[in-house]
Amino acid sequence: MNHHGWVARTIAGSAALALGLTMAGCSGGSGAASRPENEIHVAMYGDAGNTVEQKMIDTFNATSDVKVVLDKIPGAEYQSKLQTIIDTPTAPDIFFNWGGGSIKNFVDADLLLPLDDFIKEDPQLKDAFLPSVFETAVIDDKAYGIPMRGTQPVMLFNNSKVLADAGISNPPATWDELLEDVKILKDKGITPIALGGADKWPTLMWVEYVYDRVAGEGLFKKALEGDTSVWESEESRKALGMLRELVDAGAFGTNFDSVKFTDGGSPALLASGKAGFELMGSWEYATQQSSDPQFAAEVLGYSEFPKVEGGLGDEDNLVGNTNNFYSIHKNTRYPEAARDFLKLMYSDQFVQEQVGIGNLPTTTNTEKFLDKAADPEYAKYQFNLVKEAPSFQLSWDQAYPPEATVTIHTAVAQFFSGQIDEDGFIKAMQSL
Amino acid sequence: MTTTLAQRRRPAHPGGPAKGRPAGRGGSNVGRPGFVWALPASIFFALFALVPLLAVAVLSFTTWSGLGDPKFVGLKNWEALFADPVMLQSLWLSLLFIVLGIVTQTPLSILLGVWAAGNQKNRAILSAVYFVPLLLSSAAISVLWRALLDPNFGIPGQMSWLFGDGNILGTQTGAIAVLIFVGMWQFTPFHTLIYQGAARQIPPVLYQAASIDGAGTVRQFFSITLPQLKNSIITSVILMVVGGLTTFETVLILTNGGPGTGTTITAFHMYQEAFRRFDFGTGSAIALVLVVISTAISFAVVRLSGYDKMRSSLEGL
Repeated sequence: MNHHGWVARTIAGSAALALGLTMAGCSGGSGAASRPENEIHVAMYGDAGNTVEQKMIDTFNATSDVKVVLDKIPGAEYQSKLQTIIDTPTAPDIFFNWGGGSIKNFVDADLLLPLDDFIKEDPQLKDAFLPSVFETAVIDDKAYGIPMRGTQPVMLFNNSKVLADAGISNPPATWDELLEDVKILKDKGITPIALGGADKWPTLMWVEYVYDRVAGEGLFKKALEGDTSVWESEESRKALGMLRELVDAGAFGTNFDSVKFTDGGSPALLASGKAGFELMGSWEYATQQSSDPQFAAEVLGYSEFPKVEGGLGDEDNLVGNTNNFYSIHKNTRYPEAARDFLKLMYSDQFVQEQVGIGNLPTTTNTEKFLDKAADPEYAKYQFNLVKEAPSFQLSWDQAYPPEATVTIHTAVAQFFSGQIDEDGFIKAMQSL
Repeated sequence: MTTTLAQRRRPAHPGGPAKGRPAGRGGSNVGRPGFVWALPASIFFALFALVPLLAVAVLSFTTWSGLGDPKFVGLKNWEALFADPVMLQSLWLSLLFIVLGIVTQTPLSILLGVWAAGNQKNRAILSAVYFVPLLLSSAAISVLWRALLDPNFGIPGQMSWLFGDGNILGTQTGAIAVLIFVGMWQFTPFHTLIYQGAARQIPPVLYQAASIDGAGTVRQFFSITLPQLKNSIITSVILMVVGGLTTFETVLILTNGGPGTGTTITAFHMYQEAFRRFDFGTGSAIALVLVVISTAISFAVVRLSGYDKMRSSLEGL
């Protein structure tokens, strides 16, 4: 017997077999029948807020035959994990997302259940939420997500003590005032604005706001729809010029590319008085509170992003994470039970629990509970911002599908550090 | 299968292979371990190494985001890959990381290893202390150094006379230097261990003879220790090459491939394409490039160094 032939055949045979299995696994797309009986699985972004999600599930399970199971996925890996399981037999029935681009691919791949029929039966599923927020998960005129958790607008935070010491009485209301404040603080040897440039997304917040103020919310909406010529427009170049001016004025110091928000670097700059401002999502408050409650309560100030004279965007427009959402997988075995679970997302219990841990839900009944928030004044300020905002732009890296994130983040980071100029930035955005 | 059964029934040879009989290729006809003995390992290797490799090769000719079925696109991914400036840059960066890694770690670990092989006072304690970085996970090491290098609150903030504004990770040179330094801090203990073991294997008689001939410590090191460590150096260098090519966690956590794409080495680029852009086709193509390059480098090192002949360094003793 020829041993070599035998060896080769064995390897080739087992390889072919296993390859076949792998490919079969890839194609996935199982029907409802193969899913576990009497269970609904919820894929959830794993973090401290999960206690509330679990409480809502306990409430639901107390009266339901079909039990909801919470599957927590560590936060940083959430989007990657979701995308790799969503088109397999182990896909969740309900999953956490950010609306917009985070579910666009799933809608295109026909994996999600449109919620319009449920909304027709129970209009509260839509009407109980602020419209600007609900819109984020509407794709091709169909609703795919029910808001959950809270809204997270981006605001300009400040260290009121640093500003007072420098003789700045009010946070800047206009772009020119911001430039003045930058100069005053810089002359005093203080980094005017803390920026976690190494994380890249904090840099993106500056770009988003300046574009919105200068060109209005329409520019980005057009770009998202595929009209890449808007990046070459006069407004686009003006916005980039203003950002360049701000960076060149030393607003962020010189080492922002080495600073991170996520490891506590940039919030510490603000808290220690080494910086005057930081543009950040509403979670800045909770971040500061966890390291120094007294600073958060007494020294941390906040204001809207300054308006730009002559800009086309409304001065009350917001950018940030409009909300988190729950979406339902098309192959779920129990769509009615999933619907009934989502109805809890506008219940009084849900709102009260969320407000209790510092989140700000966007239901119409939220206002009733704001007095019970950790800091009622801050909660009310935020809620009114969101309620009054003519437009609330979802962060660009969430509005585009996830594959665009790397390109956007790299472009803003390179533009701020001077590695690419206006044309380089425009070219990068047009490549999306 | 008949061979297997026949082999099992054959009584074992207590005295090893019968004398005078030429050792057959398959070995089973003389009762020595045959291919069947390697079957479990071979099956695992096929399932978890060859099959994924084949799957990756197939995927590299498709476009697939993890949703639906992969679509065959021919050579599109490969054409795009060779035109991608980030890919070309990442290959140079990987090469730079490997060379700098070898240049910084090898001399240091040889010296430390040879020192640790001796019987000086306090040697055991110091060696144990020096071993500690090896016990930490790469992720922990990266997070630790990230915090230590914070420009405002870390070491650079306290030593502005040396680090200026502390923007170390914000410049390409600085970021590369940090990654090389952390790699050195992390992996030198491991290579030290290899050299310590190897240095202890060197027969003391060589050193005794050399001292009689009047050779000093330095001369002994270069004429006896280094030549005797040759095979260990090759092993260590191959491990560094493969390790350098697949460096990932430190880049992800310390620099995230930045500033810009300044430290986007090939392995990180692969991760970014596959799991951040969800372009598993391009990611697979990069993976295949990595496989080919690391195989070629290992092969070249083995060939050029004569390691494949497995010649003992103790010949003539």
